[in-house]
Amino acid sequence: MEYKLRKAEAKDVPDILRLVKELAKYEEMEHQVTLTEKELLEDGFGDTPFYHCIIAEIQGGGSSDDAKVVGFAMYYFTYDPWVGKQLYLEEFYVMDEYRGLGIGSEILRHLSDLAMKTRCTGMMFVVAENNEPSIQFYKRRGAEDLSQEEGWRLYRIDKSSLVKMATPGEE
Amino acid sequence: MANFILRTAEPKDVCDILRLIKELAKFEEMEEQVILTEKELLEDGFGDHPFYHCLVAEVPSDQRTSEGYTVIAFAMYYFTYDPWIGKLLYLEDFYVMEQFRGFGIGSQILKVLSETAVRTRCSSMHFIVAENNKKSIEFYKRRGAADLSYEEGWRLFAIDKERLMKMSAK
Repeated sequence: MEYKLRKAEAKDVPDILRLVKELAKYEEMEHQVTLTEKELLEDGFGDTPFYHCIIAEIQGGGSSDDAKVVGFAMYYFTYDPWVGKQLYLEEFYVMDEYRGLGIGSEILRHLSDLAMKTRCTGMMFVVAENNEPSIQFYKRRGAEDLSQEEGWRLYRIDKSSLVKMATPGEE
Repeated sequence: MANFILRTAEPKDVCDILRLIKELAKFEEMEEQVILTEKELLEDGFGDHPFYHCLVAEVPSDQRTSEGYTVIAFAMYYFTYDPWIGKLLYLEDFYVMEQFRGFGIGSQILKVLSETAVRTRCSSMHFIVAENNKKSIEFYKRRGAADLSYEEGWRLFAIDKERLMKMSAK
Protein backbone atom coordinates (compact mmCIF):
# COMPACT_ATOMS: atom_id res chain seq x y z
CA MET A 1 0.00 0.00 0.00
CA GLU A 2 1.34 3.42 -0.97
CA TYR A 3 1.62 5.99 1.76
CA LYS A 4 3.32 9.32 2.15
CA LEU A 5 4.32 11.52 5.07
CA ARG A 6 3.82 15.26 5.01
CA LYS A 7 3.56 18.29 7.26
CA ALA A 8 0.01 18.90 8.50
CA GLU A 9 -1.93 21.81 7.05
CA ALA A 10 -4.92 23.73 8.42
CA LYS A 11 -7.27 21.49 6.40
CA ASP A 12 -6.02 18.44 8.33
CA VAL A 13 -7.42 19.66 11.66
CA PRO A 14 -10.59 17.49 11.49
CA ASP A 15 -8.46 14.38 10.81
CA ILE A 16 -6.03 15.31 13.59
CA LEU A 17 -8.89 15.58 16.08
CA ARG A 18 -10.37 12.30 14.82
CA LEU A 19 -7.04 10.50 15.37
CA VAL A 20 -6.52 12.16 18.78
CA LYS A 21 -9.92 10.78 19.81
CA GLU A 22 -9.17 7.33 18.36
CA LEU A 23 -5.95 7.13 20.35
CA ALA A 24 -7.75 8.34 23.47
CA LYS A 25 -10.40 5.64 22.90
CA TYR A 26 -7.63 3.05 22.73
CA GLU A 27 -6.58 4.31 26.19
CA GLU A 28 -10.27 4.23 27.24
CA MET A 29 -10.25 8.01 27.78
CA GLU A 30 -12.23 9.31 24.79
CA HIS A 31 -14.57 11.51 26.87
CA GLN A 32 -11.54 13.36 28.23
CA VAL A 33 -10.80 14.94 24.84
CA THR A 34 -12.39 18.37 25.22
CA LEU A 35 -10.21 20.08 22.60
CA THR A 36 -12.13 21.45 19.60
CA GLU A 37 -11.25 21.85 15.91
CA LYS A 38 -11.30 25.62 16.42
CA GLU A 39 -8.69 25.43 19.21
CA LEU A 40 -6.53 23.00 17.23
CA LEU A 41 -6.67 25.41 14.29
CA GLU A 42 -5.78 28.53 16.33
CA ASP A 43 -3.13 26.78 18.36
CA GLY A 44 -1.42 24.96 15.48
CA PHE A 45 -1.82 27.27 12.53
CA GLY A 46 -1.80 30.78 13.99
CA ASP A 47 1.11 33.21 14.35
CA THR A 48 2.74 31.14 17.08
CA PRO A 49 2.18 27.42 16.62
CA PHE A 50 2.02 25.59 19.96
CA TYR A 51 2.39 22.23 18.25
CA HIS A 52 3.41 20.69 14.92
CA CYS A 53 2.07 17.60 13.17
CA ILE A 54 3.29 15.09 10.64
CA ILE A 55 0.52 13.28 8.79
CA ALA A 56 0.65 9.83 7.16
CA GLU A 57 -1.65 9.55 4.20
CA ILE A 58 -2.70 6.49 2.21
CA GLN A 59 -2.92 7.24 -1.48
CA GLY A 60 -6.27 6.43 -2.99
CA GLY A 61 -6.78 4.74 -6.34
CA GLY A 62 -7.71 7.83 -8.31
CA SER A 63 -7.60 11.53 -7.50
CA SER A 64 -6.04 13.08 -4.42
CA ASP A 65 -9.56 13.24 -2.97
CA ASP A 66 -9.13 9.55 -2.27
CA ALA A 67 -6.20 10.20 0.06
CA LYS A 68 -6.95 9.08 3.61
CA VAL A 69 -5.14 10.24 6.74
CA VAL A 70 -4.22 7.09 8.68
CA GLY A 71 -1.54 8.17 11.15
CA PHE A 72 0.00 11.21 12.78
CA ALA A 73 2.63 12.48 15.16
CA MET A 74 2.20 15.65 17.19
CA TYR A 75 5.37 17.27 18.52
CA TYR A 76 6.80 20.56 19.79
CA PHE A 77 10.12 21.90 20.99
CA THR A 78 11.10 21.96 24.63
CA TYR A 79 14.22 23.23 26.37
CA ASP A 80 16.62 21.38 28.61
CA PRO A 81 18.62 23.97 30.60
CA TRP A 82 21.69 21.72 30.54
CA VAL A 83 21.90 21.01 26.83
CA GLY A 84 19.33 23.14 25.01
CA LYS A 85 16.58 22.34 22.52
CA GLN A 86 14.75 19.02 22.61
CA LEU A 87 12.08 17.60 20.35
CA TYR A 88 9.12 16.46 22.42
CA LEU A 89 6.95 13.78 20.88
CA GLU A 90 3.50 14.37 22.35
CA GLU A 91 1.26 12.04 20.39
CA PHE A 92 2.01 9.23 17.94
CA TYR A 93 -0.66 6.99 16.41
CA VAL A 94 -1.23 4.80 13.38
CA MET A 95 -4.75 3.41 12.80
CA ASP A 96 -4.92 -0.28 13.69
CA GLU A 97 -5.65 -1.57 10.20
CA TYR A 98 -2.62 0.28 8.77
CA ARG A 99 0.02 -1.04 11.14
CA GLY A 100 2.86 -3.29 10.13
CA LEU A 101 3.56 -1.31 6.94
CA GLY A 102 6.47 0.63 8.37
CA ILE A 103 4.51 3.87 8.78
CA GLY A 104 5.43 4.21 12.47
CA SER A 105 9.12 3.59 11.79
CA GLU A 106 9.08 6.07 8.95
CA ILE A 107 7.43 8.73 11.12
CA LEU A 108 10.08 8.21 13.81
CA ARG A 109 12.83 8.41 11.21
CA HIS A 110 11.35 11.64 9.91
CA LEU A 111 11.21 13.07 13.44
CA SER A 112 14.82 12.03 14.12
CA ASP A 113 15.86 13.82 10.94
CA LEU A 114 13.93 16.91 11.99
CA ALA A 115 15.50 16.86 15.45
CA MET A 116 18.95 16.79 13.86
CA LYS A 117 18.13 19.62 11.41
CA THR A 118 16.82 21.84 14.21
CA ARG A 119 19.87 21.11 16.38
CA CYS A 120 18.01 19.28 19.14
CA THR A 121 20.08 17.15 21.48
CA GLY A 122 17.39 14.54 22.00
CA MET A 123 13.78 13.50 21.68
CA MET A 124 11.55 12.96 24.72
CA PHE A 125 8.11 11.49 25.28
CA VAL A 126 6.10 9.71 27.96
CA VAL A 127 4.81 6.16 27.73
CA ALA A 128 2.27 4.52 30.02
CA GLU A 129 4.10 2.00 32.16
CA ASN A 130 1.73 -0.80 31.14
CA ASN A 131 2.07 -0.20 27.39
CA GLU A 132 4.51 -3.04 26.68
CA PRO A 133 4.32 -2.98 22.83
CA SER A 134 5.15 0.75 22.74
CA ILE A 135 7.90 0.41 25.34
CA GLN A 136 9.51 -2.34 23.26
CA PHE A 137 9.08 -0.33 20.01
CA TYR A 138 10.98 2.59 21.57
CA LYS A 139 13.59 0.53 23.41
CA ARG A 140 14.51 -1.22 20.13
CA ARG A 141 15.39 2.25 18.87
CA GLY A 142 17.55 3.14 21.82
CA ALA A 143 15.05 4.87 24.12
CA GLU A 144 15.88 4.94 27.81
CA ASP A 145 13.34 5.01 30.62
CA LEU A 146 14.40 8.13 32.51
CA SER A 147 11.74 7.53 35.13
CA GLN A 148 13.47 4.28 35.96
CA GLU A 149 17.08 5.42 35.51
CA GLU A 150 16.92 8.88 36.98
CA GLY A 151 13.81 8.74 39.14
CA TRP A 152 11.90 11.58 37.50
CA ARG A 153 8.19 11.77 38.24
CA LEU A 154 5.75 13.89 36.23
CA TYR A 155 3.63 16.32 38.26
CA ARG A 156 0.65 18.45 37.39
CA ILE A 157 -0.96 21.51 39.00
CA ASP A 158 -4.40 21.81 37.45
CA LYS A 159 -6.32 24.92 36.54
CA SER A 160 -8.35 25.23 39.72
CA SER A 161 -5.19 25.12 41.81
CA LEU A 162 -3.52 27.60 39.44
CA VAL A 163 -6.43 30.00 39.78
CA LYS A 164 -6.23 29.60 43.55
CA MET A 165 -2.54 30.47 43.49
CA ALA A 166 -2.94 33.33 41.03
CA THR A 167 -5.60 35.21 42.98
CA PRO A 168 -4.42 37.30 45.93
CA GLY A 169 -5.74 36.20 49.29
CA GLU A 170 -5.08 33.90 52.17
CA GLU A 171 -1.87 31.89 51.93
CA MET B 1 14.14 40.24 55.28
CA ALA B 2 14.83 40.33 51.55
CA ASN B 3 13.33 42.98 49.31
CA PHE B 4 13.06 41.59 45.84
CA ILE B 5 11.41 42.16 42.51
CA LEU B 6 10.27 39.61 39.98
CA ARG B 7 10.59 40.46 36.31
CA THR B 8 10.73 38.89 32.85
CA ALA B 9 14.32 38.02 31.92
CA GLU B 10 16.11 40.16 29.36
CA PRO B 11 19.10 39.33 27.11
CA LYS B 12 21.46 40.90 29.68
CA ASP B 13 20.34 38.25 32.22
CA VAL B 14 21.69 35.34 30.19
CA CYS B 15 24.92 35.25 32.20
CA ASP B 16 23.02 35.05 35.52
CA ILE B 17 20.59 32.48 34.11
CA LEU B 18 23.49 30.18 33.16
CA ARG B 19 25.09 30.70 36.57
CA LEU B 20 21.86 29.71 38.34
CA ILE B 21 21.33 26.71 36.02
CA LYS B 22 24.82 25.50 37.00
CA GLU B 23 24.16 26.11 40.70
CA LEU B 24 20.98 24.05 40.56
CA ALA B 25 22.79 21.31 38.61
CA LYS B 26 25.52 21.35 41.28
CA PHE B 27 22.83 20.85 43.93
CA GLU B 28 21.85 17.72 41.96
CA GLU B 29 25.56 16.80 41.67
CA MET B 30 25.40 17.13 37.87
CA GLU B 31 27.27 20.39 37.21
CA GLU B 32 29.55 18.94 34.51
CA GLN B 33 26.48 17.96 32.51
CA VAL B 34 25.61 21.60 31.79
CA ILE B 35 27.12 22.13 28.35
CA LEU B 36 24.77 24.92 27.29
CA THR B 37 26.55 28.23 26.58
CA GLU B 38 25.54 31.86 27.07
CA LYS B 39 25.49 32.23 23.27
CA GLU B 40 22.95 29.37 22.88
CA LEU B 41 20.83 30.68 25.76
CA LEU B 42 20.80 34.08 24.06
CA GLU B 43 19.86 32.76 20.60
CA ASP B 44 17.33 30.28 21.93
CA GLY B 45 15.61 32.61 24.39
CA PHE B 46 15.81 36.03 22.80
CA GLY B 47 15.75 35.39 19.06
CA ASP B 48 12.77 35.54 16.69
CA HIS B 49 11.36 32.36 18.10
CA PRO B 50 11.98 31.93 21.84
CA PHE B 51 12.28 28.28 22.88
CA TYR B 52 11.96 29.18 26.55
CA HIS B 53 10.91 32.04 28.83
CA CYS B 54 12.44 33.08 32.14
CA LEU B 55 11.35 34.95 35.23
CA VAL B 56 14.15 36.29 37.42
CA ALA B 57 14.15 37.58 41.01
CA GLU B 58 16.45 40.46 41.78
CA VAL B 59 17.46 42.04 45.10
CA PRO B 60 18.65 45.64 45.59
CA SER B 61 22.42 46.09 45.28
CA ASP B 62 22.81 46.55 49.06
CA GLN B 63 21.60 42.95 49.44
CA ARG B 64 23.81 41.50 46.70
CA THR B 65 25.73 38.29 47.36
CA SER B 66 29.38 38.31 48.39
CA GLU B 67 30.35 37.80 44.72
CA GLY B 68 28.23 40.80 43.79
CA TYR B 69 25.18 39.06 42.27
CA THR B 70 21.74 40.68 42.48
CA VAL B 71 19.85 38.12 40.38
CA ILE B 72 19.25 35.41 42.97
CA ALA B 73 16.45 33.20 41.64
CA PHE B 74 14.86 32.13 38.36
CA ALA B 75 12.20 30.02 36.75
CA MET B 76 12.47 28.74 33.19
CA TYR B 77 9.28 27.68 31.43
CA TYR B 78 7.74 27.13 28.00
CA PHE B 79 4.41 26.13 26.52
CA THR B 80 3.55 22.57 25.66
CA TYR B 81 0.43 21.03 24.13
CA ASP B 82 -1.85 18.32 25.42
CA PRO B 83 -3.92 16.92 22.53
CA TRP B 84 -6.90 16.35 24.85
CA ILE B 85 -7.11 19.81 26.39
CA GLY B 86 -4.71 22.15 24.59
CA LYS B 87 -2.00 24.52 25.89
CA LEU B 88 -0.04 23.79 29.05
CA LEU B 89 2.64 25.76 30.88
CA TYR B 90 5.67 23.58 31.48
CA LEU B 91 7.93 24.60 34.36
CA GLU B 92 11.39 23.38 33.38
CA ASP B 93 13.74 24.85 36.02
CA PHE B 94 12.98 26.63 39.29
CA TYR B 95 15.68 27.71 41.75
CA VAL B 96 16.23 30.20 44.58
CA MET B 97 19.78 30.63 45.91
CA GLU B 98 20.01 29.02 49.32
CA GLN B 99 20.71 32.20 51.32
CA PHE B 100 17.55 33.80 49.90
CA ARG B 101 15.12 31.03 50.79
CA GLY B 102 12.35 31.41 53.34
CA PHE B 103 11.35 34.90 52.17
CA GLY B 104 8.50 33.87 49.92
CA ILE B 105 10.43 34.29 46.66
CA GLY B 106 9.59 30.78 45.50
CA SER B 107 5.91 31.23 46.35
CA GLN B 108 5.83 34.54 44.52
CA ILE B 109 7.45 33.01 41.43
CA LEU B 110 4.86 30.23 41.41
CA LYS B 111 2.12 32.81 41.80
CA VAL B 112 3.34 34.80 38.77
CA LEU B 113 3.64 31.58 36.77
CA SER B 114 0.09 30.65 37.73
CA GLU B 115 -1.12 34.06 36.56
CA THR B 116 0.77 33.61 33.30
CA ALA B 117 -0.77 30.19 32.79
CA VAL B 118 -4.30 31.43 33.44
CA ARG B 119 -3.82 34.54 31.27
CA THR B 120 -2.50 32.52 28.32
CA ARG B 121 -5.41 30.08 28.67
CA CYS B 122 -3.38 27.08 29.74
CA SER B 123 -5.29 24.22 31.30
CA SER B 124 -2.59 23.34 33.80
CA MET B 125 1.08 23.54 34.66
CA HIS B 126 3.32 20.46 34.39
CA PHE B 127 6.84 19.80 35.67
CA ILE B 128 8.95 16.89 36.82
CA VAL B 129 10.39 16.35 40.27
CA ALA B 130 13.03 13.80 41.30
CA GLU B 131 11.28 11.15 43.37
CA ASN B 132 13.76 11.56 46.24
CA ASN B 133 13.35 15.35 46.47
CA LYS B 134 10.98 15.29 49.44
CA LYS B 135 11.14 19.02 50.18
CA SER B 136 10.17 20.03 46.66
CA ILE B 137 7.45 17.38 46.50
CA GLU B 138 5.92 18.78 49.70
CA PHE B 139 6.24 22.38 48.41
CA TYR B 140 4.27 21.46 45.29
CA LYS B 141 1.73 19.18 46.98
CA ARG B 142 0.84 22.00 49.40
CA ARG B 143 -0.14 23.99 46.31
CA GLY B 144 -2.32 21.25 44.87
CA ALA B 145 0.13 19.37 42.65
CA ALA B 146 -0.73 15.78 41.73
CA ASP B 147 1.89 13.11 40.98
CA LEU B 148 0.83 11.96 37.52
CA SER B 149 3.55 9.31 37.48
CA TYR B 150 1.88 7.78 40.49
CA GLU B 151 -1.76 8.39 39.56
CA GLU B 152 -1.61 7.70 35.84
CA GLY B 153 1.53 5.61 35.48
CA TRP B 154 3.36 7.86 33.02
CA ARG B 155 7.08 7.20 32.59
CA LEU B 156 9.41 9.72 30.97
CA PHE B 157 11.53 8.36 28.10
CA ALA B 158 14.38 9.87 26.11
CA ILE B 159 16.19 8.99 22.87
CA ASP B 160 19.57 10.69 22.78
CA LYS B 161 21.28 12.42 19.87
CA GLU B 162 23.48 9.51 18.89
CA ARG B 163 20.51 7.19 18.52
CA LEU B 164 18.54 9.90 16.70
CA MET B 165 21.36 10.25 14.19
CA LYS B 166 21.42 6.50 13.78
CA MET B 167 17.67 6.50 13.12
CA SER B 168 17.70 9.46 10.76
CA ALA B 169 20.47 8.00 8.63
CA LYS B 170 18.62 4.73 7.87
